[in-house]
Amino acid sequence: MAETKRKTRDDGSRQRSSSKKPKTSKKGKSADKAERRGPRLPNALRKELDRLNPRTADSDEEIGSDEEALGQDLYEYEEGLPEEESKKNRRFDPVDNLDYELPEDFEDENVSSDDDNEARNGGESEADDEVKEENDGRRIGEMPTQTVEGRRKKMNNVVVSEAYPESEYNPTRDMLEGEGALSIGDLLDPLQGKHGYSKLKKRVRILDKKSTPIQAPLPKPVQQRLERNAAYDKSKEELRKWEPIVKRNREAPTIYFDDDRDLGPSSVGTIASEFEPRTEFEKKMASLLYDDEVMDAHRKDGSRLLELNKVSAEDEKDRQNRIAKMRSLLFRHELKSKHIKNIKSKTYHRLLKKDKLKANSLQSQMDPEASKELAMKQEYERAKERMTLRHKGSSKWAKRIKERGLDVQDDGTRAAIAEQQHLHAQLTRKMNSMKDSDTSSNDTSDDDDVDVNSDDEDRASKLLEKAKEKTLKLLNEDNEVPNSGVLSLPFMNEAAAEEAKLALQEYESWANQLGDSGGGNPKVGRPSGRMVFNGKDAPESSKKTKSDNKNRSDNYYGDSDSDSEDDLEPISISQHGKYRSNELMKDANISPVLLHEDSENHKDSFFKQNTDGSVQDPGPQATHEVSIFASGTWRKMKNGNDANANANAKKSPAPLQSVELDQSVQEPVKDLDVDSDADSEGQMVDGVLSAVPEPSYELPSQEELIRQAFAADNVEDEFKKTKEDILNEENPEPEKPVLLPGWGQWTNIQKKKGIPSYMQIEHDSAKKKREEALKQRKDANLKHVIISEKPPNKKSQNLFTQSLPYPFTSKEVFEQSIRMPLGPEFNPASMVGALNRPEVVKKSGVIIKPIEFEEVNAYEKLEGHKKSGQKHKKNRKSKSNSNSGKNMTKLKTK
Amino acid sequence: MGVKGVNQGHGAVVPPTEQKLSDEMDVTKKKYLRGGEANLEVLKDKKLKGQLAVREALHLKTAQAAANAEKYLLPSEEGYLEPEGLEKTWRIKQDSIAPAVDILSARNQYDIVVPDLGPYRLDFTPSGRYMMVGGHKGHLAIVDMKQMSLIKEFQVRETVRDVVFLHDETMFAAAQKKYPYIYNRDGTELHCLKEHGAALRLRYLEQHRLLASINEYGQLHYQDVTDGRMIGSYRTGFGRTDVMQVNRHNALLALGHSGGKVTMWSPTSSSAVIEMLCHKGPISAIAFHPTNRDLMATSGKEKKVKLWDMRNLKGPLQTLPGQAETLDFSQKGLLARGTGSFLQVLRDSSGTQKYEKYMTHPLVKGYQIEKVLFRPYEDVLCIGHSMGWSSILIPGSGNPNFDTWVANPFETPKQRREREVHSLLDKLPPETIMFDPTKIGTVKPPRKEKPTKEEKEAELEAALEVAKDIVPKKKTKGRSKPSKMKKKKQEIIANAKRPFLEQQMKEDEQMARKKQKGMEQVELPTSLQRFARKKVTI
Repeated sequence: MAETKRKTRDDGSRQRSSSKKPKTSKKGKSADKAERRGPRLPNALRKELDRLNPRTADSDEEIGSDEEALGQDLYEYEEGLPEEESKKNRRFDPVDNLDYELPEDFEDENVSSDDDNEARNGGESEADDEVKEENDGRRIGEMPTQTVEGRRKKMNNVVVSEAYPESEYNPTRDMLEGEGALSIGDLLDPLQGKHGYSKLKKRVRILDKKSTPIQAPLPKPVQQRLERNAAYDKSKEELRKWEPIVKRNREAPTIYFDDDRDLGPSSVGTIASEFEPRTEFEKKMASLLYDDEVMDAHRKDGSRLLELNKVSAEDEKDRQNRIAKMRSLLFRHELKSKHIKNIKSKTYHRLLKKDKLKANSLQSQMDPEASKELAMKQEYERAKERMTLRHKGSSKWAKRIKERGLDVQDDGTRAAIAEQQHLHAQLTRKMNSMKDSDTSSNDTSDDDDVDVNSDDEDRASKLLEKAKEKTLKLLNEDNEVPNSGVLSLPFMNEAAAEEAKLALQEYESWANQLGDSGGGNPKVGRPSGRMVFNGKDAPESSKKTKSDNKNRSDNYYGDSDSDSEDDLEPISISQHGKYRSNELMKDANISPVLLHEDSENHKDSFFKQNTDGSVQDPGPQATHEVSIFASGTWRKMKNGNDANANANAKKSPAPLQSVELDQSVQEPVKDLDVDSDADSEGQMVDGVLSAVPEPSYELPSQEELIRQAFAADNVEDEFKKTKEDILNEENPEPEKPVLLPGWGQWTNIQKKKGIPSYMQIEHDSAKKKREEALKQRKDANLKHVIISEKPPNKKSQNLFTQSLPYPFTSKEVFEQSIRMPLGPEFNPASMVGALNRPEVVKKSGVIIKPIEFEEVNAYEKLEGHKKSGQKHKKNRKSKSNSNSGKNMTKLKTK
Repeated sequence: MGVKGVNQGHGAVVPPTEQKLSDEMDVTKKKYLRGGEANLEVLKDKKLKGQLAVREALHLKTAQAAANAEKYLLPSEEGYLEPEGLEKTWRIKQDSIAPAVDILSARNQYDIVVPDLGPYRLDFTPSGRYMMVGGHKGHLAIVDMKQMSLIKEFQVRETVRDVVFLHDETMFAAAQKKYPYIYNRDGTELHCLKEHGAALRLRYLEQHRLLASINEYGQLHYQDVTDGRMIGSYRTGFGRTDVMQVNRHNALLALGHSGGKVTMWSPTSSSAVIEMLCHKGPISAIAFHPTNRDLMATSGKEKKVKLWDMRNLKGPLQTLPGQAETLDFSQKGLLARGTGSFLQVLRDSSGTQKYEKYMTHPLVKGYQIEKVLFRPYEDVLCIGHSMGWSSILIPGSGNPNFDTWVANPFETPKQRREREVHSLLDKLPPETIMFDPTKIGTVKPPRKEKPTKEEKEAELEAALEVAKDIVPKKKTKGRSKPSKMKKKKQEIIANAKRPFLEQQMKEDEQMARKKQKGMEQVELPTSLQRFARKKVTI
């Protein structure tokens, strides 16, 4: 209501006096209000009027907000401007209201606050105010606030009688109407004629001329924006000084956060120097150590130290005694424990003995000298036993046990007795008797088995004789004609007869040979050659022979060659394999032994054997026995069955070498470089093999020979062909255009035209495509090379990067950047650390402090920071991840 | 004549000038830079450029440090024979070398004669400390070459065709009559590798821990010796061969065939990675340079020895006349070849890969050389022949500086165990065997791809354009009526489209089929099938 109008615009209004006081600072608006108001009425009358005519208030709505605020006036009264206020003709002296200003320190007891006043006085007080204003008569014309000069500012301290504070949005009525403007001239007028007036006026004029009106304040957002901009610029400037630091951190390959921490004393010496004796013991020690005398002695030449070290003789003696005692005690203890340690159980000794025996036997087997020694020893023992009969049971102990009876004894004793007897038996046994039994058993099981080491000539001749007998027997048996089967056919019979005849002849010749050349001496045949016996062995011996084969693989010889040595024999045998009875097979069939004088013959036979190998009878059960004369020793080998032997012979042609080599035949294949051009160049000279004792020479197998012989045929063409095949497989050659027979050939013209052009074009384009594809190959220009274009293994795909890693844009640069290995295997130890240093080096537990400002030369080259924790004193905080480009920097400005 | 420091490098070394020294340093530095610096100017990304520049600087420093290390820590240089005046190095006999060298080296000249047990094959451990000998007649032995003592010797009583050490001297494999076997140092049989069949040659791939064999049927087998898995078994299809060698650089196996062909194999592909026609006659030997990754030597039965650069397969670098039954490169690049009872060593004295005769050594007449093998880190050549084995001195063959982290001749058992574990951890998977292993880690080579959708569309567009541009002939008798012309045009366009549409259809069909297959495969377990929603069959 009425108070609202009383709002002051300024703090100055506080100085407003209470209702009774004349208002000094009142001006402007109040006058404006006053001019529209009617004369003040007493309250009682007003009430009366209210009662009578409530409607009138409504009617003056249009008057304005002021009117409305006043509200309840009965009538409207437009009070004209007082003469003095119109200022039209300057009839009235303008009043300088400065004169009426109260002194600064003026204060009224009643003044408390606006609110207080209003609350107390209510509507009445305000009415009084109005009255006062009216009566003032010193109103100063309204002045637009904008034009108020600095020195008139005080005039603004006016009670604002508007509903809203005056602003650009809420201009005063005067402003809107454009009248009532008060100029400085108006104010100066009263001073006219006074001293200094002209001066003042002049100044004012100058001021007027120069001064421009103050701009209206900018809208708030703009103002704020401007402020922000300024602040931004300012802070930008502030931050710029950090730039070099941040840049350095960003560019650094590694950032260190290892503050120099006090790690304490670094050496034992420093620790020791700070030692202070605390406990009693320590103090005692210290007093001794730092004794003046001792220190002195140390400081001097040290001769006094000897004096100080003197020990009395008794003390020394005591000490020695004590030590001696301790020593002897120790020694005794040691002896005792040694003794205890040496006591072993019976089983231990038994086992030990066994082991020793085993080792001995092994050794003897391995080492000829040892075996000899062993034999000597055994012989000696045997002799001793035979002389003393120590183990026969003639000892006292044995006799007593016998007296008591063996049955009474416990197992151990019995065993001991038995062992003694066994030992006795062993030692006293006749040696040759053992041998005899062996041979006899051999004889029974296998007539032709002869000990390898029995190389006496008697034995050889005996064997020969036996073989002779057997052959005869067999030949006789052969004469018996089978009754049935194919072999009973007449021509077979004839063949058999013929064969038998031949065999007989052969046998005779052989016997003659033996008779005149060997007789009793089997060596006669050839000193270093070999005689090959061939026969059929009893099947039960086959097992044994197999194992033999293995054992002596280096000196056994293909057996079937002895068959093939005489062409007729083996074939006939194979053909007549069927009629061989079991009995026959059991009997040894000794084929004629050929004592070849000439090796050519032999070699031939070898080849034949190789080729014939497959032709030979597939399942001859007969086993052959081959015995060899080799440099005067009887060696006897047994073969399994034929097939086995054949296979062996095939697989290891090596054994045949020795047969050949003594003929000084050099194999042509290996000796390839003995040729003129090599010789002339003097590069490779290879001698011809001569009388070297036993140069083993590997004869290439048949297939290898063939392979070598035909290898050089047109390899280039072959290669070309294979390459073409491979190319065709990948890019097949386009088929030649063909027409179906009979189609499009009705007339001659069609025939003449040939293949339609579109087909031809298609074909050509396909051909071109293929050629282009072939050109793409890596081996396109390499005539003699095929590089496989197969897609690489899936797993090996993982070894490549799928695409260029992010910051890289060029493949070359990327590949160049990964060319250097980083591991310690490839780099000197001094550089491995630098090559593999992480981006951030920080000791665990170290607090990362915020970055601190420091002067940095932005243009200095970054030096590789040596990683030296103590020296690195800059404790700046900046964690920059140089790879990802993220830079998180906390700033702390000081 | 003078023998320049056999392996000790104590010969009269001319004090090099500073300039020469720095040149040498530059050369070694370049070697350690591994292919020069990258051209960073191409890069637009400033950050990457900065990072790479830092990296490059580090690499440069590393190379410098490595060059320094090589200079100061590997002081020994290999010696060589230096002829004076009219002397020729190949006239120098072993017995004239003997007095000129130190006692330890002189001890390496010897012959072991084992007449009965056939031609011998040899193998060394990588450090050259232990030698394995295998006689054809079954004699196997391990010899400690430092102490010249026999560690183990035994008879397998079977044909032995090849022997090879596995990762160290504790285990070795022998290709015997029927199968290869693995034995330990004490001669205990550990494994019988039946799957390999009757192997003719064995090779061990150190880094990959694979035992490779070629058997008499020409089948190639790779077996992982750490876990026993068969990594690959392939039929070569080129027949029987007993020429097999491993390229230590990329671990490809090279086989020499009777057709003069050399094929290279990796365990992950069933066909040869490379086939080369090297000779006209059958291949008799192959050898790879241990350090120069690109050098290969082959010899054929047509009496030629050829040297090849693996980067340029167009033709041989050099062709030497003469036969070689066996070839071997030494660590320093000497090439030994043996045939019959005659042995020759070639040397690349000029450094231009022109091999010239360096030394010769005739064995006793009649000895047949089976295998020549340089001993690593020593100037020694071992020769396995029909009468045992011999060892001779070849000055300048071995690397005078050994790296104890790579191969330590003085290894203690503890170190050996440690190394074994490390090498197991460092085992490479078999996929890494490829022709150029330096490519590993680089960007995957582009596959031959099917044309993309856009490409196809573009092609179709182009075809249509062509079809539309065809101007029909002007014909008479109403055949060029507008209606007919239009029809004709449409027909042409349809014809142009047809092949594309057909292909599209075909592809779609294939896709559908594939999808269906996939659908069929994804089936629920039987116990859950009853809960599945049944398809409505129409």
